[in-house]
Amino acid sequence: MLDISALLDEIKASPYQESSILAPHSGVLSLSPDLAPGSRVQGPHGPWKEKPGTLLACLEREHNRKEIRAPENCEIVSCNLEASGTFVEAGTVLARARHKLSREEVLQILLKKALFLFLAPEKARYYFIPQVDLKVKNSPPKSVSVYNGMDLFIISRMKRESSLSYSGPDGVIYAVYFSFNSNMEAGSPLIGVCPPDMVRQIEEVSLRVQTEWQEPGEA
Amino acid sequence: MDLHEHKVLIANRGEIAIRILKACRKLGLEFVCVHTQEDHASGHVRLARGLGGSKSLYRISSYHDANELMAVADESGATAIHPGYGFFSEDYRFARRVIQREREMIFIGPSWRIIRELGDKINTKRLARSLDVPTVPGSDRPIYDEMEAEELARTLFNFQTDNQIRNPLVLIKASAGGGGMGIEEVHDPDLFRSVYRRVRNYAARQFKDEGVLIEQRIRDFNHLEVQILADRNCKTLVHFGTRNCSIQSTGLQKRLEVAPGFDPSSVSYNFDAAGVLEQIIRHSLNIAHKVRYDNAGTWEWIVTREGNPYLMEVNARIQVENGVSSAITRIRGQEGVDLLVEQIRTGLGDPLGYTQEDISFEGVSLEYRIIAEDPEQRFTPWVGRIERFHQPEEPWLTMHSHVPTDEPYDIPTEFDPNLALGIIWGRDLQEARGRGLSFLKKMILEGRTAQGEPMKTNLEFLKKKTGDILKF
Repeated sequence: MLDISALLDEIKASPYQESSILAPHSGVLSLSPDLAPGSRVQGPHGPWKEKPGTLLACLEREHNRKEIRAPENCEIVSCNLEASGTFVEAGTVLARARHKLSREEVLQILLKKALFLFLAPEKARYYFIPQVDLKVKNSPPKSVSVYNGMDLFIISRMKRESSLSYSGPDGVIYAVYFSFNSNMEAGSPLIGVCPPDMVRQIEEVSLRVQTEWQEPGEA
Repeated sequence: MDLHEHKVLIANRGEIAIRILKACRKLGLEFVCVHTQEDHASGHVRLARGLGGSKSLYRISSYHDANELMAVADESGATAIHPGYGFFSEDYRFARRVIQREREMIFIGPSWRIIRELGDKINTKRLARSLDVPTVPGSDRPIYDEMEAEELARTLFNFQTDNQIRNPLVLIKASAGGGGMGIEEVHDPDLFRSVYRRVRNYAARQFKDEGVLIEQRIRDFNHLEVQILADRNCKTLVHFGTRNCSIQSTGLQKRLEVAPGFDPSSVSYNFDAAGVLEQIIRHSLNIAHKVRYDNAGTWEWIVTREGNPYLMEVNARIQVENGVSSAITRIRGQEGVDLLVEQIRTGLGDPLGYTQEDISFEGVSLEYRIIAEDPEQRFTPWVGRIERFHQPEEPWLTMHSHVPTDEPYDIPTEFDPNLALGIIWGRDLQEARGRGLSFLKKMILEGRTAQGEPMKTNLEFLKKKTGDILKF
């Protein structure tokens, strides 16, 4: 049985996450003049997150200017000022930022502990088989059922494809952890499945997070 | 601009990047390599770091990002781009962009108009038919409609039945595919629809184009190639002989290539093999002249057991197996021909400097593609860590590989699983076979998966197939 209170206390004791903001591709970098260690930046906001986050930097290659914006509300810990104005390679660290975990992030952390996770058997790209893919895209959330032995995935590596069956308890797909055309490491979760006997516990996790976790800025 | 003042951006990875890099050094040219995060341990990265000058190695997000390649070219001062094979090598828009941008560069490959004309299997087929060059019966444009595809497949099944072909077969190919990817055969008309959908979905995922070609599947054939090289404006156009690439995996991917394409001096054929080779060379040169071909390219043929050749496609680029053609070619009697050097030199505007009369052929050359895969399981790629990679050293052997020999290497899953190419030369077929087997026996390749299972390779498959070389 999952001890939700203990897990929430553990997260509350260390509610921040630090991450690097990397150059998504190579190009000439211009860091925003306002960017400095200690500055606070805002992520996408508005009722539908329609307003973009604070501008952190611009990368230009072949007259294409790519804006790099804050992915969430966070505080800049450090920034690569020396790189500004120069040509940077893909993957160069532009800044380090830390942010307080959002309700959704906390929920995802707890769900990963509560759900049955079906793991990638090897490093590869994963796709749902076309029939399931259609259902996942078109059905209401958390309504696609899976059962042990069901043909569920296409594994693609080195341009070769093969099928992969789901093995685990019957239930509904509660979370999808892979995205189209991205590589998944061996052992990383592909989907989180909620078996029927765990529905109540999962609902409780969701309720507890909604009520007990304060978003930054909330009273 | 003088030839030696050029700097070449190598827009590729692995073994071909190494070969281009070495060709640049032979010509005294500067180079710049690129790599992605997944390829940080590849041999081409190590070599570029060791041999390159300043601004000779850049990390990029993807080999498929044209903008990044152009940006790196500008930053490094490159004056030409060599695309290798795959990636942008047959993308006419990329080739056009390289030469038409604000800071113009040279695209080392055929001109974009030729790539547009021949890089498309369908255009090639139409052009070939207009020149009375035989092609495989089937569609001459990509098909996107399921009903149209079924109708064509039915016609092809009926055509074969009417011609007393037992077990008729139809081939479905991703029209934007290449390298043997996205090809499946159908033996039962009732199964056509499900296979068609599978290929269409695969093509959409891998090539972002759902179009397919539908052809009669000719069985019991040999896959032959003609290597063409021309200088700019097609002032001089020559061929570098033929190759036989019939030894393939179950997924129709080449595993062992031989030059020349047939060897009538030691193998008996049911047809005039020398005559067929002459015929496919003549047809290939005919098409090349017609389009004013202006760099390296390969004309791919299938030859039936009865000795009937059909043009499959033209690869308007350098190919993996160019090394076997180099190995048997002599220019004015001199060995040591390097097709990549010739391609780069002529691509940069140097005249060819010799004609077909200066070219002769000597001996037999084999190329083994050493791959981490399981031939017992339909050649499924093997993924894991290579712990030991030892390649023998022989005067008759040339190895091309991006796998480090002095440290473990995790095979990236993002690219083709080729590990190494072993190119063998012998005075005749018998000697080449003997040397090939000796090479395979001495080759050491060991590794483990994350779960501790031992490495799978195709070495045993290659040993077995060495006896079948050039036999129908």
